Amino acid sequence: MQFNFGKWFGTRAISVIVAVLFCLLLDKVMQGPDKSYYRFLMSLAGIYVTLAVSLNLINGITGQFSIGHAAFYQIGAYTGAVLAANKFSHLAATKPLLWLFLAALFGAIAAGLAGLIVGLPSLRLKGDYLAVVTLGIGEIVTIIAKNQKSLGEAYGLSTAKIESVFLISLLAIVCIAVCRNLLKSAHGLAFLAVREDEVASAAMGVNLTRVKVTAFVLGSAFAGAAGALYAHTKAFVSPPDFSMDVSFLILTMVVLGGTGSITGTTIAAVVLFLIPEKMRDLPYVQMGTPLGVAIGIIVAVVLLRKIQESFHGSASERLGRNLGSVGIGIVVAFVMAKVLVMVPAFQSMINGALFRMPVLAVTLVVLMLLRPQGIFGHHEFSWSWVQKLLGKKSPETEVAA
Amino acid sequence: MSLLKLEQATIKFGGLVAVNSVSFELEKGDLFGLIGPNGAGKTTCFNIITGVYAPTSGKINFDGRDITGTPSNKIAQQGICRTFQNIRLFHSLSSLENVVVGGFLRHKTVLGSALCYLPSAIKETDELKAKAMELLELVDLADVANTRSRDLPYGKQRRLEIARALATQPKLLLLDEPAAGMNPQEKMELLQMVKKIRDVLGVTVLLIEHDMKFVMNLCERILVLDHGEEIAQGPPAEIRSNPKVIAAYLGEAV
Ligand SMILES: Nc1ncnc2c1ncn2[C@@H]1O[C@H](COP(=O)(O)OP(=O)(O)OP(=O)(O)O)[C@@H](O)[C@H]1O
Ligand SMILES: [Mg+2]
Repeated sequence: MQFNFGKWFGTRAISVIVAVLFCLLLDKVMQGPDKSYYRFLMSLAGIYVTLAVSLNLINGITGQFSIGHAAFYQIGAYTGAVLAANKFSHLAATKPLLWLFLAALFGAIAAGLAGLIVGLPSLRLKGDYLAVVTLGIGEIVTIIAKNQKSLGEAYGLSTAKIESVFLISLLAIVCIAVCRNLLKSAHGLAFLAVREDEVASAAMGVNLTRVKVTAFVLGSAFAGAAGALYAHTKAFVSPPDFSMDVSFLILTMVVLGGTGSITGTTIAAVVLFLIPEKMRDLPYVQMGTPLGVAIGIIVAVVLLRKIQESFHGSASERLGRNLGSVGIGIVVAFVMAKVLVMVPAFQSMINGALFRMPVLAVTLVVLMLLRPQGIFGHHEFSWSWVQKLLGKKSPETEVAA
Repeated sequence: MSLLKLEQATIKFGGLVAVNSVSFELEKGDLFGLIGPNGAGKTTCFNIITGVYAPTSGKINFDGRDITGTPSNKIAQQGICRTFQNIRLFHSLSSLENVVVGGFLRHKTVLGSALCYLPSAIKETDELKAKAMELLELVDLADVANTRSRDLPYGKQRRLEIARALATQPKLLLLDEPAAGMNPQEKMELLQMVKKIRDVLGVTVLLIEHDMKFVMNLCERILVLDHGEEIAQGPPAEIRSNPKVIAAYLGEAV
């Protein structure tokens, strides 16, 4: 494994260029007044990817159970909004993109500092205690915002509207790249070691406080940058945008994707953001339909679990049976839905959009039953993995950790 | 001058005196055994040497420096590393990665260069991996370098812990029951391996072990603890015939 500078530089340069071009392209595609809704969705998806991947650095990679990530998101957002409305209003009006970049930077610095102040004392706590403290921090930040006149109290603050799919997607990519780079280096292994066993990592010379605080500050800073971009995307910030629900949504993305897996977290962030968003448009349905679907899901989950527990055949046979179970679940769902709507008690109409949150809960429960390690577990996307999937032999077998 | 020196080290947990005024000295290059019945305070001795607990009273000196109450990670940096009685590997990391974590404390590149994937960080990571691979070969685990440590059989996990500790480049290696759960064949190999670590790598070894044959064959000096107190110290032959040790630990059979 001789290090080759030329090759390194080549790959780096290409990756950076591709990333920037990709963001520019997204930005271009999303231009135009007719696409404002999709632009907004795209922007928020990018923001949630940043939030989830940065929380994954704290929760998944370093193993510090923080559940108040929205606090740092909020600090970034309010920093951006306040600065744009006061000191930097001129810059925001004349050079919006430059200002947006600076706003993200200021948001990151403010949230990072807050992360440092919160992290230094509280990261000495373990597991549940840390969770309680971070939960409290989330509430405290919201309450402060709700009660400060200069922060618009419960109503919130309006600020300059500057949309940039380019900067938002770039931030998400940078956040992913930073985490991935970390995991590729020996430094990252020290972070993982802290997650795996604190006593043993300390005995191997790892400075626990340093690692945990670094992860916390970095994660918070990315959330802060995302917050500043969010404030300008929406041109308005108000306390409910950063409530406990948001913290939990971000946490769910991390858990669902597979704690520690950047790939899983990214995918889960997009999916979990889009599902509830899309379900807003669901029509009214008869009560029997969702009930039927629920029964179908239960049947499928029971069958899948049975297979997990007691089937020991080959992988392809297992896949066949799994697919079969899903098929049975779908059929049951259809049949039950049709049957149940014939029952007068289940014929009342109900707004489909109401099922947004239950769907999240059900997804999470199903996942915890079938795959507690999250969809990706600790695995990461890698090219050698794709090659293996396509049946080719990879040049170097990589272990995904 | 001695490498490690405990002076009347004492630790109390509530009313229980787990280690009571224990003093001993290790010279450079020693192969030293620590034995005693269950609950005698052997592991606790390791814990106060490696900074997991600070002693209630007494002093610990290492390589000319007072290390009493120094945190674990600093002690590792100064050159003491250990294995654990109840194996504490980084379970979801591969064998190789476990050993790389051990080698990480002597790293030079800053975090920033790792986050940006700069050549310095990649080079260092590659070097650490190469060194880790050498250590895996030393403990005969090169073939499972990419296996998750959780999936290794017990005996291999114990050897991996030794490799991980050696990666920190210690002057003093503490082994807590390294032969526990191994079969006679594995124990023989382990014995040779520990000898090699001392003779070839020049690492001083302090080890806890319940297998008397193993300890007597390997160690040149032995300290016996009982109820937190030292009851004997000396070469194996002396220990074997010491009536106090026979009464407290060895029994009539040995
Ligand atoms: N953190 C702790 N808190 C309270 N008591 C402890 C603690 N650690 C150890 N002890 C007690 O100190 C005594 C010595 O324990 P230690 O683990 O050192 O024994 P040991 O000699 O290693 O025994 P074994 O051979 O079974 O491993 C035991 O009675 C144990 O219960
Ligand atoms: Mg013990």
